[in-house]
Amino acid sequence: MTTTWTRSLRRDRRALYISSPIGLGHAQRDVAIADELRKLHPDLEIDWLAQHPVTAVLGAHGQRIHPMSAELANESAHITAESSEHDLNAFQAIRRMDEILLSNFMVFHDVVAAGEYDLVIGDEAWDIDYYLHENPELKRTAFAWMTDFVGWLPMPAGGEREAFVTADYNAEMIEHVERFPRIRDRAIFVGEPDDIVPDDFGPGMPSIREWTERHYAFSGYVTGFDPSPLVEQREDLRKELGYHPDEQVVIVAVGGSGVGEALLRRVVASYPAAARRVNGLRMIAVAGPRIDPAVLDAPPGVEVRAFVPDLYRNLAACDLAVVQGGLTTTMELAAARRPFLYFPLRNHFEQNRHVRHRLDRYGAGRYMEYDASPPEVITEAIAEELARPVDSRPVESDGAARAAALIAPLI
Amino acid sequence: MARVRAPERPPAERGSRSGAGAREAAREQARARYPDTTGFVERDGVRVFYEVYGSGEPTILLLPTWSIIHSRFWKLQIPDLARRYRVVTFDGRGNGRSDRPSTAAAYAEAEFAADALAVIDATGTERAVLVALSMGAQRGLLLATDHPDRVAGAVFIGPALALDRALPGREPANTFMDHLDTDEGWAKYNAQYWRRDYAGFLEFFFGKCLTEAHSTKPTEDAVGWGLDTDPETLILTEIAPGIGDRDDILARVARLRCPVLVIHGSEDAIRPHAHGEELARASGGRLITIEGGGHMPNARDPVKVNLAIRDFIESITR
Repeated sequence: MTTTWTRSLRRDRRALYISSPIGLGHAQRDVAIADELRKLHPDLEIDWLAQHPVTAVLGAHGQRIHPMSAELANESAHITAESSEHDLNAFQAIRRMDEILLSNFMVFHDVVAAGEYDLVIGDEAWDIDYYLHENPELKRTAFAWMTDFVGWLPMPAGGEREAFVTADYNAEMIEHVERFPRIRDRAIFVGEPDDIVPDDFGPGMPSIREWTERHYAFSGYVTGFDPSPLVEQREDLRKELGYHPDEQVVIVAVGGSGVGEALLRRVVASYPAAARRVNGLRMIAVAGPRIDPAVLDAPPGVEVRAFVPDLYRNLAACDLAVVQGGLTTTMELAAARRPFLYFPLRNHFEQNRHVRHRLDRYGAGRYMEYDASPPEVITEAIAEELARPVDSRPVESDGAARAAALIAPLI
Repeated sequence: MARVRAPERPPAERGSRSGAGAREAAREQARARYPDTTGFVERDGVRVFYEVYGSGEPTILLLPTWSIIHSRFWKLQIPDLARRYRVVTFDGRGNGRSDRPSTAAAYAEAEFAADALAVIDATGTERAVLVALSMGAQRGLLLATDHPDRVAGAVFIGPALALDRALPGREPANTFMDHLDTDEGWAKYNAQYWRRDYAGFLEFFFGKCLTEAHSTKPTEDAVGWGLDTDPETLILTEIAPGIGDRDDILARVARLRCPVLVIHGSEDAIRPHAHGEELARASGGRLITIEGGGHMPNARDPVKVNLAIRDFIESITR
């Protein structure tokens, strides 16, 4: 057997990027950050340890995927399995992913064990952050940690037990970070301090905002694309997409999983009454790959499409969007300055508390509670929002460059 | 810098089961990896369920521990080890998908060892590296000494082999079947209490197994697996014939021919660290102490345990 060892100053700069596969949002923003990082370090080689659906986005952008990625256990399938009708207890779902997270950390460990990487970037790579703090001697590289929320928060249905367990998870995280500041060489909050929820980590525990400001740097929001051309050329875009000037186009999009079927049914049922209230109302419902358009009982006049290419362009061109409460889609709409109704999934602490707080800060979107929104309430909200001028604050467009500038000194 | 105060004592695990938690406990969470093959072996009319993962060399047999839990307790070892090796595991009789025979004799240590032999036969395994947690050490020791040609090495985690003094409050008392006038502490280790409040016993027991801070998830998991069997079955396992006294165990250990690794938590509140130390000494094996660790480092320090198992396997197969 022969081996080669490269002298340190002969080595290329190499980073391993891990982008959370839960939700589709991370991949887009991480590609944008990687692009900015390459501008600062033109010789930087980036490999991605990634799984579906992140790999789809990476593939479209010609990114290099580490072959060991094939050994990762799938996280998004687990999250889908944990969901039911417009419901996902996100905290419990991540807790119940412990076996997958451990398994994926071991794959990661094997990838970096050879010492070929200078830097690991983990965008909500929970497994890596957690197990490096649990096994600090296994750290082999500089580590940049990113997240768009800090603090597990209980939802009311979880009762006293969930309040205790979320506080216990927060306490462990705080103890980890304060005992081993050497693990996260850079911690980046994807947002601004005002985006942090006003809550405490738990009874008698620090304020999340105060603690996060001490332990994180802030990149501002990272959209993953520049919305300004879409905003500026909106009239051209509408023409190209076949939206007539006298139409009021409402797009209903509920993500790629099957969780959205119930919401989709309810929104399309609101169409006949809404069409009587709003002249020229046109509703396009995007069913996605897992929902059979036939089961939606769409009333006449609603266009149901299985798939819409470049959905974000349609969202930027529409007059109103109706969506779930995920951060990426809602912030894309905020960045495109479009009005929208958003329905956070039941029991989803991130959508109901962290995302909602951030959208409130921008004055973007109208929060809708699924259980309190029969079709007639949705009709009313559609009519009101279409009549109201957009007055939300603009979304920053330099987040990816700011994040890259925070990471660049580590290599 | 703000001092972090640990949250107050947790509301009882059972509390979660009355609400949203009931669904959580009943439904198995997604696995990182599913078995390539599964099957049953049958001995004297008792069916035992096994699983096989991966195809590498050597084969690792993850043994059952006390039937208070089933083979899912290896969930943080299986997917990692199966990437390199072939992993075989099975549900000990009395829990999981294995049968629950109705006599104490059916739960004798020798029966568990015979099940293990039947499983390695059924899976076409010539030799295996044994990995045992707690009570698994007893059946592992029987298998390794009675069939040394089938065992390439043995890892004992928190071994339940009474080689030294028991922990205070856990001395043999011969009051297991008695009606006691207290439920305090280890008085809960009692058949009548199990019948009265089985879930209460599980919460107490796994609280003692997982003494490390921030162990809510592995504790909930273990209590859930405990609820997959019942107090009457567990009582039978408790009164079944064991492996013998200290001299019998030492005589067995002296007959061990394979390399041995012992992993033991310094704060194990079920089986004292001194037992693991003595096993390592008597077997000439290696001892890894998990300083600050409890009785289930497989669940609480899985990265360390997995890497230790991998290192051990590499060292004996090199």
